[in-house]
Amino acid sequence: MFDPRAFRRFKSNRGAVFGVVLVALLAVFAILAPALSGHNPNASDFQNGVGAAGRPIGPSGAHWLGVDNLFRDLLSRLAHGARVSLLIAFIATAISITVGAFVGLASGYAEGSRLQAIDTALMRFVDIGLSFPYLLLVMAIGAAVGEVTITTILLVLGLTSWFGTARVIRSKTIQVRSLDFIVASRALGQSTVPILLRHILPNVAGPLIVIASASVAQMIIAESVLSYLQVGLPPPTATWGRMLYEGQRMVAVAPRLVVAPGLLIFVAVIGFNLVGEGLRDALDPQED
Amino acid sequence: MLARLAKRLAWAVFTVWAVVTLTFVIYNVLPEDPAQVIAGPQARPADVDRIRMQLGLDRPLLSRYGSYMTRLVRFGPPSGEKDDSSFQLVGPVRIDLGVSYLKGRPVHELLGKALPPTLLLGALAIFVQVGVGAIGGLIAANRRHTVFDWGTVALTLVGISAPTFLTGLALQHFLARQTRWFPIDGYGDTFSEHLHSGILPAMTIGLFGAAYYTRLVRDEMIVLLKQDYIRTARAKGQNELQVLFRHALRNALMPLVTVIGLNMGILVGGAIVTEQIFRWPGIGRLSVHAIQEHDGPVIMGVVILFSTVVVLSNLLVDLSYAALDPRARQ
Repeated sequence: MFDPRAFRRFKSNRGAVFGVVLVALLAVFAILAPALSGHNPNASDFQNGVGAAGRPIGPSGAHWLGVDNLFRDLLSRLAHGARVSLLIAFIATAISITVGAFVGLASGYAEGSRLQAIDTALMRFVDIGLSFPYLLLVMAIGAAVGEVTITTILLVLGLTSWFGTARVIRSKTIQVRSLDFIVASRALGQSTVPILLRHILPNVAGPLIVIASASVAQMIIAESVLSYLQVGLPPPTATWGRMLYEGQRMVAVAPRLVVAPGLLIFVAVIGFNLVGEGLRDALDPQED
Repeated sequence: MLARLAKRLAWAVFTVWAVVTLTFVIYNVLPEDPAQVIAGPQARPADVDRIRMQLGLDRPLLSRYGSYMTRLVRFGPPSGEKDDSSFQLVGPVRIDLGVSYLKGRPVHELLGKALPPTLLLGALAIFVQVGVGAIGGLIAANRRHTVFDWGTVALTLVGISAPTFLTGLALQHFLARQTRWFPIDGYGDTFSEHLHSGILPAMTIGLFGAAYYTRLVRDEMIVLLKQDYIRTARAKGQNELQVLFRHALRNALMPLVTVIGLNMGILVGGAIVTEQIFRWPGIGRLSVHAIQEHDGPVIMGVVILFSTVVVLSNLLVDLSYAALDPRARQ
């Protein structure tokens, strides 16, 4: 997996490098959030923010991108939204990938052995999981727990999205498991868990990384959809989805309230997708 | 073959049952109290208790689950009672999804009313997806290593990355609000109005699939166009369009059949958001309302309908493998 050739292939892929740049810029934007604007993202500024006819002002010296419908600094809210979005996307992906990898490894290793029942049970469960109305489930849980916190969203997104990963890792494990060096280490008396973690896991890491990168993009979308449908994090927390929802009503007066969060969501998703595609091409080159 | 079919069918029924049970458990162990929601935040505790009794929410979970499931599927004629909310599925089998907490109407009636708009939207979306996918993929593959190809690949990346609600809002803004080519939202009254109003939401849902299928068809076509039989067809002087459409594209569309089936979930997921943006009176909008208003029976009904559709389309995909590819029949 730490193949220098793969790294070279990734570097020479212009799309992938562009993706890395986009993601890095977003990360810097999120990290520098408080320093960037000097404004509290949830504080209304009635002194400098109110423009003609009581409307929120546009870009100015005090507020570089202007203020939103409640006279809060737009730049600051976008940056804090980036924090929420990236934080949720990364941790939810980590949860989803970890669960998916372990289920896939266990299932793939059990397949065809005397533990076949484990494989059957796990894969049946995955079938059920994939038949679930994912978004609906997430929304229903979000609505029913009443107070939605970051933890709720993380658990809901992380635990409902690992099914596909498990399937991919299972079939990869089945391929890897019959390679000579695995058979050899089994013959030498190595027990199952070390084989799985030390020998098989590194060999399925390639697809896992690719899935993870695409998953971050999916999680960013999922979080913003929840916020947009008002079943995500409650106000006043700044999230891109909710900003989009709130800005919608003022689109005629201040289109930037819709364009800015929309653009950021789009850039984030396209950045992670580009990185994912670059990784896929680099780790699994297919000549045609 | 018949034994396999029976086994697959039994498994499909089991999957739907499992999804229903899981949803029931998840929805009922969560802290939200439907009785409180229905009564409103100002209600007196006595009223909340009365509503809870009426809905049977005071009984233990297992007992509620038992009565939900025994009510859900029943055999025989309608009970004839006034509160009978069941409908006939096939022959003697009757399905009873219960009554909406808020609207006081049988859930199957609400679903039945919301289903045609969603089906229309789904059909239009699949039309967009496959049409754009086939033509885009064909052009990109046939003009490999040209601006057309790179442009198509770049556009598909945009299509795959644009979240449904962004696409929807953008289309609505530019093609409806500014140019007035299409209605901003709604469903209209006549069929031609339905079609006219349905174009933007269908494009919204279809964009992701269109991008995805374009790539799929492109990759498939690149391999196919190098095959010997294509060279033979060209060598014998076959018209180039016929080579592309009759020989290559037909085979390139084969994998699409399976992917369309497997992507039903994504289609429905996209419909939830899109119907909300365009005020399309379908299942997606029904479910968002049900969730926002904590209307348990409607949520359960939507989940049952949704998972049945997904499971059935997966089953059809499996069966179409056998029908389309003789090698899979063994």
